[in-house]
Amino acid sequence: MKRTLLYIIALALTIAATAQTLNVKVGNVVYQFPAAQTGEMNYADGETVTIMGKTFSLSDIDEMTVDDSNVTANLVGIAYSNGGSAVVTVAGNVAQYVTPTISGNHVIIAQTNTTAVDNDEITYQLSGTTDDGEFALDGSYKCTVSLAGVSLTNPSGPAINISNKKRIQISAMNGTANTLTDGADANESWKACLYSKGQIQLQGRGSLTVNGNTNHAIKSGDYVTVKNLTLTVKSTTGDGISCNKYFVMNSGDVTITAGDDGIQCDLEDDDDVTGETTDHEDENSGNVYIQGGTLNISTSTAGSKGVKAVGTLYINETSTTTVITVTNSGGVDASDTSDLVASACLKSDKAIDISGGTLILTNSGQGGRAINSDGTLSISGGNITAQAQGTNYGSSSGQGGFRPSGWGGSSSSSNHKYAKGVKADGNIIITGGTVNVYSKSHEGLESKGTITISGGQVYVQASDDAINAASHITVSGGYVCGYSTGNDGLDSNGNMYIKGGLVYAICSGSPEVALDANTEGGYKLYVEGGTIIAIGGIEGGSSLSQSCYSASSWNRNTWYALTVGSDIFAFKTPSSGGSGIVLSGASQPSLKSGITVNDGNSIFDGMGYTDASVSGGSTVSLSSYSGGGGFGPGGGGGFPGGWH
Amino acid sequence: MKKIVFIMMALVGALTVQAEEYAYLTFETTDGAKASVDVSSLTLTISGNTLTAGSQTFTLSNLSKMYFTNTNETTAIEEITAATLDEAADIYDLQGHKVTKEQMKCGVYIVKTKSRTYKMIVK
Repeated sequence: MKRTLLYIIALALTIAATAQTLNVKVGNVVYQFPAAQTGEMNYADGETVTIMGKTFSLSDIDEMTVDDSNVTANLVGIAYSNGGSAVVTVAGNVAQYVTPTISGNHVIIAQTNTTAVDNDEITYQLSGTTDDGEFALDGSYKCTVSLAGVSLTNPSGPAINISNKKRIQISAMNGTANTLTDGADANESWKACLYSKGQIQLQGRGSLTVNGNTNHAIKSGDYVTVKNLTLTVKSTTGDGISCNKYFVMNSGDVTITAGDDGIQCDLEDDDDVTGETTDHEDENSGNVYIQGGTLNISTSTAGSKGVKAVGTLYINETSTTTVITVTNSGGVDASDTSDLVASACLKSDKAIDISGGTLILTNSGQGGRAINSDGTLSISGGNITAQAQGTNYGSSSGQGGFRPSGWGGSSSSSNHKYAKGVKADGNIIITGGTVNVYSKSHEGLESKGTITISGGQVYVQASDDAINAASHITVSGGYVCGYSTGNDGLDSNGNMYIKGGLVYAICSGSPEVALDANTEGGYKLYVEGGTIIAIGGIEGGSSLSQSCYSASSWNRNTWYALTVGSDIFAFKTPSSGGSGIVLSGASQPSLKSGITVNDGNSIFDGMGYTDASVSGGSTVSLSSYSGGGGFGPGGGGGFPGGWH
Repeated sequence: MKKIVFIMMALVGALTVQAEEYAYLTFETTDGAKASVDVSSLTLTISGNTLTAGSQTFTLSNLSKMYFTNTNETTAIEEITAATLDEAADIYDLQGHKVTKEQMKCGVYIVKTKSRTYKMIVK
């Protein structure tokens, strides 16, 4: 069988090598007509000759030759030559639709109707090297730009500039390395190094590097998709990738170093706004879909975003493994002091929905956020690490914030930005996944609406409230740890409902509590189920329909084992925190101190083990907790009223 | 494997159709005369009103069409008589310059009559 295949391949190669072609050379353009397809080539009045629908002025023809060149249908080849001039080769079947204009290595092509091209499209294949060239395309039909090992630099404009408002595939051929670079222009006369007025589909199993030195690196007036491609994007001033309507990444390896946002998706003003549509048909949502591949984004510009969606930002793993790493050190954009803009790793003006993938999000900028949603934040899967390592901007709360008016002092809501791990102006809903949040200077996980957790693992460590909601907090499942070194573990400004799951909450100490509901505002904490460990006590006046127990003291940096029925949860206490400890479980719990964890499932960044196997330790005496208040300084338990 | 072989054979079939070899490029003039030129390493150049294909030369304004053929379709050579020359409406040298019958010296000329166009070699 192998031999047969070899014969067939050899035969095919032989036949391919004996193709017969009529080449018509006009300047630096060679039109290649397969002899078998030419038919009658008609002359007219000694002025013109027409071959396969392409009419040549005879005076323009340098020469015609017949040779054995192979012609690939639908293909237009552009070979750049540093120090010379580009040569354009046009396949005969599309010759009548293509009009190249060449000046040195600047190639401008006008393309007309291609509906008759075997119901297919023209492929422009770029190769060679030039430090002063371009590829520009005008017309109104879809096409493919195939990158076959091209290094294209245009010091005075875009490297690729496509005026077609149609779908353009930019495909890096397998095994090829390609580079596009534009010049630096202070007047920002062009939009991007790689620009298309229409849709851009970035694909291919080669590599592409885009260096944008004037504005964006890649800009589409329509949607952008990424598939398979190894893409490196560097923009000195603008976005790495900027598009309208929507953005989709299915696979590939994308690295972006951005002068502004890494990926930004806006709405197309001229079209009706839609939500997500079937197969994205006629979609104008402003949504970003990252559903596979590896995405690395680094940005350091004030107010910048790693990924910014006007619509909803969806992250999942429907295509392949998704790994997203975003680092942002940009800090606050204070160019308009009345409208400060915080930086973020992920930002949506509408909502964020994460159902899969590994996300490593680090914002070290002042006032920066790892995740920032103007609407709802939904997490149902994935493994998320979100860190806000920066200080607060314009804050007077002692975390080193800086305001334009100077350090310290009072600040209003309009002149500060707090560095938060995760912030949503809408509700936060967590049903699955692993979420680890660290916030150096302010709240860790904050919602301006409600927070509802029914699954997953959530670990939040913060210098202010670890988990904070402007309205209610409900935990009905999953594993939740709120560890605050400067305020409450979980802080609800409405009611707080613990109905299920496991909650491990740590406050910094009196007057804060581990679980804080807004009693002052007429709300309360409802303990209705679940397993609770509250270091530093719980809100006074709580409704405890499930019994609670307390111990007046706990040891620092010590492993404990809480047993409820047959379930053992091992947890490590912090190096500091509020006095006393309140516990609750579906049945009366028991507590041991100083245990050794032999086995189990590590959660909460190593501070806990579920299904733990433990040994040693001493039993801690627990008292029934009446639901009074938090623990005062120095310990004690169950004192009515609380201190917070 | 069968599928691969089938695809390969289909590919070969397609290539076979596309790879038909022609031996000649045949030119036809407005008077119906044909001249076939061997296409092996053929180069066609245009200078003024003349197209040169290998050893053949054509006046552009007389060309009607060209096409690839497998056979030599060159029209049989007709004898040119003095009368033919007397009927000539126009005579051109290979540079496309119009000449008179008296100016003809040794060389190749295009002789155009009312009915036909001839290539004439004056020795």
